[in-house]
Amino acid sequence: MKLFFGLAAQISIVLIVAGGASAQQPQGNASMPQIQGKINCKECHTCQVPTAKEPCLKQCPTLTMTHTKSAHALVEAPDSLLIDEIADTYQAVHFNHKRHAGMAEMNDSCSVCHHYSPPGHIPPCKDCHGNETNPNNLRQPGLKGAYHRQCLSCHREWSHDTKCVVCHLPSAGRPLSATGDDSTDIVGRPHPVITTPAKKVYDTPYKEGPIVTFQHKEHIDLFGFRCVDCHHQENCSYCHDIQRPATTSKTQEQVHAVCNDCHKADACAKCHDTKERPGFSHNQTGWPLNPYHNEIDCWACHPTGKKISRISRMCVNCHAGWNQENFKHAVTGLKLDETHAQMDCTDCHADRKYDADPVCKDCHDDGRTAESAPPGIKMQHRSQ
Amino acid sequence: MNNTEAPAVMPVKYFSRGTKVLFGIALVGMAAYVYRLLFGIGAATNLDDQYPWGIWIAIDVASGVALAAGGFTTAALAEIFHKEKYHVIVRPALLTAMLGYTFVVIGLLADLGRYYNVWHPMLPSMWQGNSVLFEVGMCVMVYLSVLYIEFLPIVVERFKGRVNLPGPLHVFNRLFESVLTISDAFLSRFIFLFIIAGVVLSCLHQSSLGTLMVIAPTKMHPLWYTSISPLLFLLSAIAVGFPMVIFESILASRSFKLKPELPVLSSIARYTPVLLGVYLALKIGDLTIREAWPYVFEGSVQSYMYAIELLLGVVAPIVLLSMSRVRNSVKGLFVSASLVIFGVALNRINVFLVAYKPLYPVKTYFPSIFEILVTVGLISMLVLVYRFVVVNFPVITVPNGHVLNAAVQPERTSVVNINRIVR
Amino acid sequence: MGITRRDFFKLSAAGSASLMAGEALASDGAQTALNPNSLGVLVDTVACIGCRKCEWACNDANALPTQDLKAFEDKSVFARHRRPDAGAYTVVNQFSDPRDPSKKYSMKIQCMHCNRPACASACIVGALQKTPEGPVVYDAWKCIGCRYCMVACPFQIPAYEYDNALNPQVRKCTFCATRLSQEGKKPACVAICPNEALTFGKREDLLIAAHSRINASPEKYVDHVYGETEAGGTGWLYLAGADFNNTELPKLTATVIPNLTETIQHGVFKSFVPPLALYGLLGLIMHSLRAEKNGKEESRHE
Repeated sequence: MKLFFGLAAQISIVLIVAGGASAQQPQGNASMPQIQGKINCKECHTCQVPTAKEPCLKQCPTLTMTHTKSAHALVEAPDSLLIDEIADTYQAVHFNHKRHAGMAEMNDSCSVCHHYSPPGHIPPCKDCHGNETNPNNLRQPGLKGAYHRQCLSCHREWSHDTKCVVCHLPSAGRPLSATGDDSTDIVGRPHPVITTPAKKVYDTPYKEGPIVTFQHKEHIDLFGFRCVDCHHQENCSYCHDIQRPATTSKTQEQVHAVCNDCHKADACAKCHDTKERPGFSHNQTGWPLNPYHNEIDCWACHPTGKKISRISRMCVNCHAGWNQENFKHAVTGLKLDETHAQMDCTDCHADRKYDADPVCKDCHDDGRTAESAPPGIKMQHRSQ
Repeated sequence: MNNTEAPAVMPVKYFSRGTKVLFGIALVGMAAYVYRLLFGIGAATNLDDQYPWGIWIAIDVASGVALAAGGFTTAALAEIFHKEKYHVIVRPALLTAMLGYTFVVIGLLADLGRYYNVWHPMLPSMWQGNSVLFEVGMCVMVYLSVLYIEFLPIVVERFKGRVNLPGPLHVFNRLFESVLTISDAFLSRFIFLFIIAGVVLSCLHQSSLGTLMVIAPTKMHPLWYTSISPLLFLLSAIAVGFPMVIFESILASRSFKLKPELPVLSSIARYTPVLLGVYLALKIGDLTIREAWPYVFEGSVQSYMYAIELLLGVVAPIVLLSMSRVRNSVKGLFVSASLVIFGVALNRINVFLVAYKPLYPVKTYFPSIFEILVTVGLISMLVLVYRFVVVNFPVITVPNGHVLNAAVQPERTSVVNINRIVR
Repeated sequence: MGITRRDFFKLSAAGSASLMAGEALASDGAQTALNPNSLGVLVDTVACIGCRKCEWACNDANALPTQDLKAFEDKSVFARHRRPDAGAYTVVNQFSDPRDPSKKYSMKIQCMHCNRPACASACIVGALQKTPEGPVVYDAWKCIGCRYCMVACPFQIPAYEYDNALNPQVRKCTFCATRLSQEGKKPACVAICPNEALTFGKREDLLIAAHSRINASPEKYVDHVYGETEAGGTGWLYLAGADFNNTELPKLTATVIPNLTETIQHGVFKSFVPPLALYGLLGLIMHSLRAEKNGKEESRHE
């Protein structure tokens, strides 16, 4: 009798579970990400019937996470790693993580290697990559492939070499470090700090204006370009390729390609001139910057994400909170005397046109101007 | 059959100046053959991974089979369609086919890397019904046997009642005599089964030879790559049959100082323009349907070879043999027949060698001296064996008016003569 | 020839009965579907670094003449395109992207292990066979050395031991068939590949993986899995970063290469009807014309 009840209970549990599962199925489908192409369910799910409650997703949703921007800083990174999975065949590989991370900084940072770097903890390769190719997801290489692809994608690019010994030492041997003075032998050397030139002057074959002055620093400081924005597709081999011919002639199109990313619509004279040009000065725009404005970023006034253009000169355009009560005239470089400080703004600045010359003749008949007889004390600014 | 027109042994000495030259060539060829057996295909030929087949396949096998087609076309004409006047050429054609196929097999053995396995296709466990080559191999093998059976009556005619083995072999005389008697009794009743089988088998493998290269669509030049290739091969084989008989008959009559069988030869030559015409029409129609005409004028080696094959080997003989003046002159017949033979042989060489463009060639193929020596040697040997057979067996019919005393007393005639053994 | 019409038909009947026995043979094999579990290898030429270790592993596994593994680090061999031969079943070649010639890809070449191999269809004795597991295997014991397989192969893969006078064999990639079946291992080249540019698995799964790699990084791959349809599909599949036209792999349509010859072949031998019909027809002609002639001769004699 006991046995019978036990059995009946088990059967009913099975039925309930089965019913529940079938009821939940449609909900699960509704929240699934839209994925293009033919993908095996098993690539993301570990169980046969994933539901919304129990999606049984795998740890690494690599399909959607490839090359996501990393939110991690270099300081979090370990200095050095010991890769010793096959220590019985080769000596453990001493991977100088800090140096590689430093080089990655020149490009897309952590995500250059860590294609899956969620906030928090960056998982080590072996968390996702098993010893063998995942039979349920043949797209994902095993740990051997994962390591080698990371290392060799750069290492063979400049050396055109795939010798094992570059990383693996078969028996007791020297740790990996630079030997000799061979400039192409860059393994184990820290990358020197990359300097940013202030400007580059090019002598071009363009007759009407052979000189092109490129304000390199200006493009970084004024326009906020990152290195990769212009130096795209530059990797180790761009400088270190031992097989790259010394001089490569470029077509006119290739020469202009980088500039054309922004200056496509501009005329030749935008860059080409007969003599070297000075850098950009805000004076040229008719709005010489006062010492305060000189300090701030262009984008503090000019709208971001747009080509820089003329903006309204009204102070309230930026200083929205200024009014008669809280405005200290001294910031303009003129501290008003007591008499003038009592007056209304519009008494001197007719129609609130602050960029026009102030009007004195309403009170003074002697033909004075704000320049000849200032209505206060001119301030001495600290020099830039 | 008229008694004055019976086939007879040729009353000439086996060795002549020409025979001796041929013997020399055959010996050199045999040496080259032995060289290939001892040192391998790589040492003897210019074949490589890109060109797996050379002239041993294109000439020895493919052209050899085509040119031996006279055997079945003549048999069909004389025995199946009962055109009695052509009986005089049945035996020479049969002998050509028999020897032709024998030498095809000998040539093939040189080309086979594992020639000692040549019997493998006979084992049912290794039958491969999808393989065109399997069908060709089986048909050739069975047909060769059929040809030997068809030749048996000639042996019977020569030796029945006259078996006389030399020395101690004398004791087997009766046995051989009875074997001949039984064969005679069986064959006189059932030879027709073999004759029909020979024609069917020929149609099958002559066409299948054309299917062989259809398996390599990406490597074949479009001028020759067509799905009707088997039909073209069959038609050209049928068309070359009679010219081959004419060619040989004229050569034999020259060699044995006989009057050529001009009326018979002129008569069968009438069929050739028709057969070649059908072949030409199909070839041109096929070229048009496949829109392959531009390739004829592309100026490549292939286009020139195609033009030569068609103009010299097909169009020219059609024109020549359509003229009764040409058909009724020995010289005209000989030239026209030679052109047809040249055309068909060139077609086989074109299909198997010229049209074949390997995907990654390092060099172009040209036969090595050994390949040429073996091929030329085998042809010489074939001629020598042919001559040996016709001076010992009643194959060639002596035309009316030619009195050959020697034919009645063959023991006086030849130096290398089977009569010595038989006497 | 003293034979009656009845005798003739009796004989033909006996002949056809014996020929019928071979019917199964002639009609079998034409359209066999591929085993869904058939194995293959996906060659990702974008992941391939051209280290040539597969060449060494192949030589080692197949007991081919070889050198020290270190000798395979020599990249100068890429100066010319090499082909597999009797002493090397696989070779790595380099090709460049036409859009950027400095961009080099490496590509391993070996037998493609076609779904419907032309070599096996051509083979006169069935020495080459497509196994249900996937590999196209060679049985030297059966082989007669005709080299028709080399003529038939659309990838020009089978190589021959021309210098062996007595026991020459057709040599090509074995897919490590014995390693696979008896030792349960991966093919030697796949096992050694450091970058896992070679992926071993069921052909069906490999196709899914291949397309998913293309979809995940369309900037890295051309949208073409070579071997998915080529020549009716091949067991070995390729991914590439630049158009396959620049590689050594030939441009092929989806047409199964031996389809046409097999259709002709099976058409001519359909249940042996066409040959037998021809035989019967010729017999009939022979018989009737003979009777006609005999009649004439008799009337002449009268």
